[in-house]
Amino acid sequence: MDRGAEASAPPLRGPAYPLNVVGRNSTYVAGVMPAAALLALFFVGPALWALYSSLTNLALVGIDAANPRFVGIDNYTRLLADPDFWTVIRNSVTFVVGSAVIGQFGLGLGLALLIDHAEHRRWWLGTLAYGAVLLAWVNPTLIAGFLWVAMYDFFFGSLNHVFLSSLGASPVDWLGSFPMPAVIVANIWRGTAFTMIIFLGALKTIPPDIYEAARIDGANAWRRFWDHTLPSLRPIAALALLSITMSTFGTFIVIQTLTNGGPGINTEVIALYAFHTAFKSFSIGYGSAIAVVMLALNFAFAILYLRWSRARA
Amino acid sequence: MSTYSRRKFLKVAAATGLVVACAPAASPSASPSGAAPSQAKGLTGTITVSYPDELGVKPKYVDQAAQAVQTKNSGTTVKVDLQKISDDLYYPKLLLALQSGADVPDVFHFGGDSIGELADAGYIEPLDTYVNAWADWSQYPASIKQGATYKGHVWAIPYGMDTRWLYFRRDDLQKAGLAADWMPTKLADVVTAAAAVKSKEANVQPYALYAGAAASDGARDHAFVPLVWAYGGDVVTSDGKWVGNSAAIRKALTYYQTVYTQGLSPKEILTSTKPWTAMRAKLGDGSLALLFEGGWVYGGWASKDQAGTQKNVGYILHPTENGGPSFTIGGLGTCWYITAKSKNKDLAWEFIKTWNNKDTVAKINIEDPHPVARSDSADVAEFKAQQYLVDSTKSLEKAKFLPPDPNLSKITTAIQKATGRVANGDSSPDDAAKQYSADLKQAIGADKVIEQ
Repeated sequence: MDRGAEASAPPLRGPAYPLNVVGRNSTYVAGVMPAAALLALFFVGPALWALYSSLTNLALVGIDAANPRFVGIDNYTRLLADPDFWTVIRNSVTFVVGSAVIGQFGLGLGLALLIDHAEHRRWWLGTLAYGAVLLAWVNPTLIAGFLWVAMYDFFFGSLNHVFLSSLGASPVDWLGSFPMPAVIVANIWRGTAFTMIIFLGALKTIPPDIYEAARIDGANAWRRFWDHTLPSLRPIAALALLSITMSTFGTFIVIQTLTNGGPGINTEVIALYAFHTAFKSFSIGYGSAIAVVMLALNFAFAILYLRWSRARA
Repeated sequence: MSTYSRRKFLKVAAATGLVVACAPAASPSASPSGAAPSQAKGLTGTITVSYPDELGVKPKYVDQAAQAVQTKNSGTTVKVDLQKISDDLYYPKLLLALQSGADVPDVFHFGGDSIGELADAGYIEPLDTYVNAWADWSQYPASIKQGATYKGHVWAIPYGMDTRWLYFRRDDLQKAGLAADWMPTKLADVVTAAAAVKSKEANVQPYALYAGAAASDGARDHAFVPLVWAYGGDVVTSDGKWVGNSAAIRKALTYYQTVYTQGLSPKEILTSTKPWTAMRAKLGDGSLALLFEGGWVYGGWASKDQAGTQKNVGYILHPTENGGPSFTIGGLGTCWYITAKSKNKDLAWEFIKTWNNKDTVAKINIEDPHPVARSDSADVAEFKAQQYLVDSTKSLEKAKFLPPDPNLSKITTAIQKATGRVANGDSSPDDAAKQYSADLKQAIGADKVIEQ
C-alpha cells in the first residue's frame, strides 16, 4: 500500500467511516446477517406493522375491514380513557411482581443456594431437586397450564379431590376465588428453573478461597452469604431479574389456559388483552395500540437491561 | 380523518414488513344483479370447501356432496378442508385468510349471525341470482329467507336453524323436593329451583348461567339476551340501535348478581376454556340441574343414552319475569357462504345447492338436532318420528331473533364484560349497566346506542 497516498488522503468523515467499519468487519457482518434478516422479518416488520395499524381503525370484520381509516392517535387516547386498560396494567404489574420478582427470582435463588449447598456435600437430594425443577421447565407451557388446571379444578382437581377431601375440608374454587394467586403460583412453578440455573452457574464462579478466608476469620454462614455470596451474585441477579421480568410481562399461554383472563378481567394481563381485543372483538387497530404499549414497556425494560449489562461489563 | 382504500392501506402495511399476512384484498363483489350465473355452461375447475367440525357428524355429508358434484360435473374437483376445531378457533383463522387474501376457500361454513359483519367486510358473495334461479328456494319459509337477507341481498344458505331450551334434570329436581312435572311460571321460579337443589344436593351444581369472555357467544345468546327479553326489554331496537342501559338490562344483571352471589352457578364458567363443554357434560350426567342451552346439545346426550335422556332431561321455553308467554331465542344456525374472492363461484354454488337437498337437510338435522331450514325436509318420515325435533321446530314459532348486525362481535364483547363484572362481584348491576352503555358507545359509536 502507498503509505504516502494514505497520509495525504482527506480525513474520514460522513458515511465513509461506517462503510469502512463494515468492510473491515465483513466476516462478522456476514455472520450476523441471517439472524438480522430473521429478526427483521419476524420482529421488526410485524412491530412496524403493528405501530402503523395502531393508527388506523382496521378490523377483521365489518366496514372497517373493507375500508380502514387513518385515525391518528385516537386508539391511544381511547386506551388512556379505558378503565379496563388500567385494570389490565395493574394485573400485569401484580403478576410480574408476584410471579417474577418474588416468585421465580426469590425461589430460584433459594433453590440454587440449597442445591449448591447439597452438591458440595454430595447429597443426592440436591440432584433430585434439580431434576424436578428442571422437569417443570422443559414441559411445554400449554401442558404446564393444563397440569395446573388439573390441580385447581373445582370438581376433579387434585387440590380439592385429593388434598382437601383427605383433610375433610370443603372444596375451594381456586381459580374463581383466588385467580391471581393461582396463576402466579402456576407461573412460578413453570419458570423458576431458569433463574435457578443462572444462579447455580454464578455460584460456581465464586472462588472457594473467599469462603475459606471468611471461615478462618470466624464468619458464620449468614455473614458469608451476606458479605460474599450476595455481592458476587449481584451483577447476574440484576440481569436475571430483568430478563424474567420481560418474559413474564409477555406471559400469555399459562393464563389463557388457566383462567382466560377471568373471572371478569381479574387475571387479564396486557398480552391477553391485546389478543382478546384483536381476535375476539376483531378490532385490529385498537388491539395493535395495546400491543404497541406493551412493546414500548418491554423496550424500556430492554434498555434498562442493556445499560445494566454494559455498566457491569 | 382521511379515508384509505383497503388496497392502498394493505400495500403500505406490506411495505412495512408484514409480508405474509397482508396481501391486498379485492373490493366487494359487484351487485348480485350483475353477471348472471353461468349455470348453462358446463362447470369446470376446482373449489375448496372449508368447514369446522368437532362432533364428526358433518364430514360424511360434506364428502357425499363433494363426490356428487364431481360425479355430475366431470372434470371438476371439490377439495374439502375439514378443520377439526371449534367455531371459536375457526372463525379468527378464517377471517385472517379472508383479510389477507391468502388461502381463501371458495365455500365456507359458519354461523348465520355473522352475515352482517362478513358482508360489510366484503368477504362474501351475494347469492340473489343463484337463489332466484333455484327452484328449491321456494321450500324455505319467508322468515328464514328474511334471516339470510342483509341490506336487501341473500348472503348465506342455512340448513339447520338454532333454537334454545331451558334444560332441567327431572331426577335432580325431584331429589330437591320439586314436583316431577316441574314447570316454572316465572323467571324467579328458576332461581327457587336452583336454590332448592343447592340446599339438598351437595354433589349437584344447581344452575349454569353463562357470563364473561370465557363463555363466548353463550354469554350473549344463552343468558344475557334472553334475560333482557324475559324482563320485557330490548337489546336492540327495530331501527338497529342497541340499548345501552335500561330497566330490563339492570334487572337482567341483577338476576346474574342473585344467581352468582347465592352460589347457584359455578364460577368456573368465568375462568374455564370453553366452559360450555363441561356444563353440557354435567347436565348430561346429572351433576348439573338447570341449563339454558342450544337445542343441538340434546343430541350429544341422546346419542350416549337415549332412554336416560328422555327420562331425565326435560326441556322448556325461557320463562319471563311475570309469567308472560315463554319464548326462546332463535338463530339462522350454521350456513354455507361463497367467498367474494372465489374464482369459481358457479361451482361453489353447485356444491351448496347439492348439499342443501331435502334428504341431506333432514338427515343431518336428525343426527345433529336442529329444526330444519327447508319445509319439505320436515316432512321426511325419520325427522317427523323424532319428538324432540318436532318440538324444536315448533319452538321457532315462539322464537325471537337478533338482527345480523355488522358490529355483533364488538357488542358481544361488551355483553361479556358486563355479565362477567357482575357475576364476579366486581360491579353492581347498576354500575355494570352504565359501563355496558359506555362500552357499547365506545365500540360501535354513540349514535348507534340509546338508553331507555
